[in-house]
Amino acid sequence: MTDDPIAEFLELFRDEANQRLDNMVDTLLAVEAGRAEPNAVDDLFRDAHTIKGGAGMLELEDVRTLAHAVEDVLQGVRDTGSFPRELIDPLLRAADALRGHVAGEAPGSPDLLDELAASRAGVLGTTLPAVTRAERTPATAPGERRAIRVPPQKIDRLLDLVGETVLHRRRLEHVLGEERIATDELVSDELDLGERLFDELKDAAIKMRTLPFSTITGPLPRAVRDIAVAEGKDVELVVRGEETELDRVILESLSEPLVHLLRNAVGHGVETPRERKRAGKPERATVELRAEQRGGSVEVAVADDGRGVAPEVLAEAKSIGSLAEVLARAGFSTAEEVTELSGRGVGFDAVKRHVESFGGTVEARSEPGRGTEIILVLPLALALIEVLLVERGNQAFGIPLANVEEAIAVEDTLMLEGKAALELRGRSVALSDLSELIGATSPPLPGRAPAIVVTAGGRRVAAACDRLLGEDEVVVKPLGALLPSARGYLGAAILGDGRIALLLDPASLTRPATARLRALVAPPRPETERAPSKVLVVEDSYTVRELQRSILEAAGYRVETARDGKEGPERVERDSDIELVITDLEMPEMDGLALTRAIRARAERSSLPVVIVTSRGDETDRARGIEAGADAYMIKRAFDQQTLLETVERLVGR
Amino acid sequence: MRLRVAGESYAVPVEDVLEVAELGEIAPVPGAHGSVLGVRNLRGEVLPVFDLAAVFGIPLDRPPSRLLVAEHGGKRAGFAIDEVTDVGELEAPAEETESAFLRGATLDGGVLVGVVDVERLFSAIEEENA
Repeated sequence: MTDDPIAEFLELFRDEANQRLDNMVDTLLAVEAGRAEPNAVDDLFRDAHTIKGGAGMLELEDVRTLAHAVEDVLQGVRDTGSFPRELIDPLLRAADALRGHVAGEAPGSPDLLDELAASRAGVLGTTLPAVTRAERTPATAPGERRAIRVPPQKIDRLLDLVGETVLHRRRLEHVLGEERIATDELVSDELDLGERLFDELKDAAIKMRTLPFSTITGPLPRAVRDIAVAEGKDVELVVRGEETELDRVILESLSEPLVHLLRNAVGHGVETPRERKRAGKPERATVELRAEQRGGSVEVAVADDGRGVAPEVLAEAKSIGSLAEVLARAGFSTAEEVTELSGRGVGFDAVKRHVESFGGTVEARSEPGRGTEIILVLPLALALIEVLLVERGNQAFGIPLANVEEAIAVEDTLMLEGKAALELRGRSVALSDLSELIGATSPPLPGRAPAIVVTAGGRRVAAACDRLLGEDEVVVKPLGALLPSARGYLGAAILGDGRIALLLDPASLTRPATARLRALVAPPRPETERAPSKVLVVEDSYTVRELQRSILEAAGYRVETARDGKEGPERVERDSDIELVITDLEMPEMDGLALTRAIRARAERSSLPVVIVTSRGDETDRARGIEAGADAYMIKRAFDQQTLLETVERLVGR
Repeated sequence: MRLRVAGESYAVPVEDVLEVAELGEIAPVPGAHGSVLGVRNLRGEVLPVFDLAAVFGIPLDRPPSRLLVAEHGGKRAGFAIDEVTDVGELEAPAEETESAFLRGATLDGGVLVGVVDVERLFSAIEEENA
């Protein structure tokens, strides 16, 4: 924290201005896409106005002048009540210039000022007086966003100390001994209290270490738009899960890989508007960027609704068991011609290696004609992970618990084409000696050796070891600056008794890295391909219907729509693919309750899941819905797409 | 600081030496380069340990027993050595050497001593393990 009040204020102003510029760019893009909120112009005006006000106080003349010019254009828009699209481009460039000015990088921009004045006059046919009307009160009270600035090193130190506390606790348990802990109530009570305090401390420290996904998504819609324009495509970026918290270090290193993936999605994934039209798709393509927490990891996915990868690539992916692996091969590209922007897809390999360097994995899915999805599975926080500890050849190893499917005792070993495999609930899993997987030599395994089933990168492997040591939460320590990229390791952890456990990278365990390793791994089992579930949306409001359609389609469902309940029963009867019905409650002819009852009354489809979505939220309505046989009842007020998708997913059992 | 590695005499500038300790228990890192002995727990920190004789390419006459912890440019590494013989002043290296890890060699009491350049040693190891 600096002691100079002006510098401190400047810093706060920069934060706020950048935040507001992000909002402005988002809003401008929304206006361009024709999906702006009704108050979009007011929002833009307020953002420009607030930036102008702050700049004025701090005597940042370039910022103030330009923000003022932007404000004038927006004032014109407000007065005339129309927002011509020709204004978007100069306004976006003004936002970029403002960002530069705010960072103190760019010089003044007389050209842009002239252009703004000209577009205002030309497009709106108005010349505004030089002085705008009375200054309005900014919507955000000053100080609202004020936060304490802490240098990152201090947070890292705190997290280090938390880590040391874990070690201390393990040592303490070791010193006390299992017996003492089990028999002495005072000791075990105090240890329990310590554990609780430690958990809270750890959570608090990790929260300081994480940042919301939105921290890096701000410039992306704009970047996608620019790439799309350069490629002659029409693409909208939809960002979901912006509130998802990610490790700061991971998050900050993610911008570049994400831009690369988005570039690939726009360049290689989606088709030109003409091709899309021919294929019967909406001309405007959608690229979805989403982040969501799943247990101990966070998934960040880039999904496009484009052409999907070539069939021969899919075939190759099937034969080696991983699409991500095929895509990562240098020189690979899904585009028929290599465009200037997308390069040759070489960068995907770099993205994959980057993600794997901090213990993440990359998965890929693609369906011809429907699109491609790249999923980065990232650890929630870098410093602490939960591992399963195992022993092999007198040495301890840790595998992230998130990647361990189960631990089993090896009894019946199958031989598949001369390779060892295990039968696990009807599926065969390649079985290897852990020691061989990591390239070590160890004494032979004991009889009935335990094996852990590790999943990563869409593949599974069972690794046999001498014994299981149990689960533990450990502090990940690097192997040292001189061993930066020891292949196959996430780092090392120091255990309670002082021993070192090497932390194994699950992705490299499951990856058939060399020909020798490849020979050990059984052929991948073909995934049973299943068409996406089909959902029938019954809703009389066009907007709501299309909203639900787009949410469901973006999540990979096939969607049919009907405008009234009376169409429902027949559609369900006719189309046996329909696996779920989402219905509005109030509709002109047959309402949602009657529809639900009608479905329940038909013997063949009587168990079809039905979700009622309504604006009526009181208990009697809910009770009536459930009584009619609905499986779920959602209130439009509380309606958010995550809940909808979770409900649908649960009911169709995907 | 003068030390013996696989029977030969070497010297390391004292400012690059953090400490000398027992070699202790070292966890091997399977798959790593040949000169990597493994990693060791040094008071709660993970320290990579290298076989100095292997780095220098000289055959071992007996297993090393001591650990020299060197630090340079913010990087830290342990080296397995036979023993530290003494600490004291040494004449600046008079002889140029071909070695990638030595600053040079100097005659001290009739014994040829190789003066280790820790910076170059570190970067050679880094390259090897990249």
